[in-house]
Amino acid sequence: MNAREIIARRCAQELREGEVVNLGFGIPTLTANYLPASLSVIFHSENGCFGFGPKPSTLEADSDVTNASCEPITLLPGAVIMDLATSLGAMRSGYVATSVLGGLEVDQEGNLANWASQRDGRWWPGIGGAMDLCYGVPRIIAALQHTDKAGNSKVRKRTTLPLTGRNCVKVIVTDKAVFDVTPSGLLLRETFPGLTIDNIRAITDADFSVASNFGPMQL
Amino acid sequence: MAIEKIMRLDDAMAHVTPGTRLMMGEFVGAGEPARCIEWLLQNRVGGLTLITVTPGVRGGFLMGRLFEQGQISELIATHVATSSESSDAYLRGQLKMKQFFPMGTWAEKVRAGAMGLGGVLVPVGVGILDQPGIFPDLEEPKPTLELHGKTYFVEEALRAEVSIIKGWRADPLGNVEFRMTGTQNQRDLAMAGDYTIAEVNEIVPVGTISPERVGCPGPFVNAVVQGYSLEEQHAMYRDLWIKLGRLAPAQPA
Repeated sequence: MNAREIIARRCAQELREGEVVNLGFGIPTLTANYLPASLSVIFHSENGCFGFGPKPSTLEADSDVTNASCEPITLLPGAVIMDLATSLGAMRSGYVATSVLGGLEVDQEGNLANWASQRDGRWWPGIGGAMDLCYGVPRIIAALQHTDKAGNSKVRKRTTLPLTGRNCVKVIVTDKAVFDVTPSGLLLRETFPGLTIDNIRAITDADFSVASNFGPMQL
Repeated sequence: MAIEKIMRLDDAMAHVTPGTRLMMGEFVGAGEPARCIEWLLQNRVGGLTLITVTPGVRGGFLMGRLFEQGQISELIATHVATSSESSDAYLRGQLKMKQFFPMGTWAEKVRAGAMGLGGVLVPVGVGILDQPGIFPDLEEPKPTLELHGKTYFVEEALRAEVSIIKGWRADPLGNVEFRMTGTQNQRDLAMAGDYTIAEVNEIVPVGTISPERVGCPGPFVNAVVQGYSLEEQHAMYRDLWIKLGRLAPAQPA
């Protein structure tokens, strides 16, 4: 199982029956592939839809039925189309209960950075709907690899990049660990099977304590 | 004389001239007014300020190619890299983007322009997008306003000289019906333009579109132009999705 699949599988377990969920670009989108069969959630897409379903077959793909990445989707019974301003208003006003978002960095105060890094002295690539989600969605799950390609921790004491949202992340899911973000700091809830608490300390810049119900991820 | 808004593409698009401030409907490439963009690609107007939610999609598709041709001088949007052509132009310093807007902020700025308002108060990004150095090209710091102890950005309304929207069907009065997620904020874009062109898959007689299904009322539209048929549009996007690996190539029957 590669890192992306571990994260997506574990994020799927965080979703709650009946809630409205928005999945961000990248790893978060994969979460939909691993939902427990018994769980039904309403997926929101910021271009203006509640209740979308799986990808259609090629010949059934409709050019006017797409998600926020311009990928073909299907609409489930009970789906709703709305205009863009309404869709983004729903995000700001808290009608989307949970959002899984990718991240460049997350820190122990629940700050998330995922829209900008420096390229040739310019901030790049852009915000899209991520900032509206961080502002208004009560439960943000940050889904990211634990370390970058150079081995630096992406779960930090303090983010260094421009933020997407302040104090918004409630759960951090990486390929190595699951943390809850609490008012008193990060709480290590799970590790990838076989990893110890010390293993996690060695690859994590952020401070954390260990939850009383600490255990291995059930993948 | 009866109102008749159906126009030839050339006549409608003649309103777009070098330097025009242009709004366009789309969402990461979905719902692009294909014929109007092809007209721009052919006529190479250039110097345009483009107001759009994103700069299109990867794969050398329609809007992205406007950036490749260098026709867009400034982009007012939420993102610069949904198409590789726009990303490259920005990183080369050939595309001005003074600031990035959160999507909901961008949508409300257009809506304010549409609805005759001066602007909107937006709490999203306060304390983040006003940090020093984030947007060095802004002439002034982003204005804020305190209301009942909470800080908001004062976001000015956006309007354009020409708006181009994409609908499903329209009648000669300019009433437009949208399909599914193609709805986007095309109605707001239409209202926020001084001159608005609606490109549609199908032109139908007055009375065909049920009044409550009119997504953009005719008075907001100046010109209706015939676009690709819905079947041609589906084929164009299926080809794109196969090219980008988002769909498997169709098996011959």
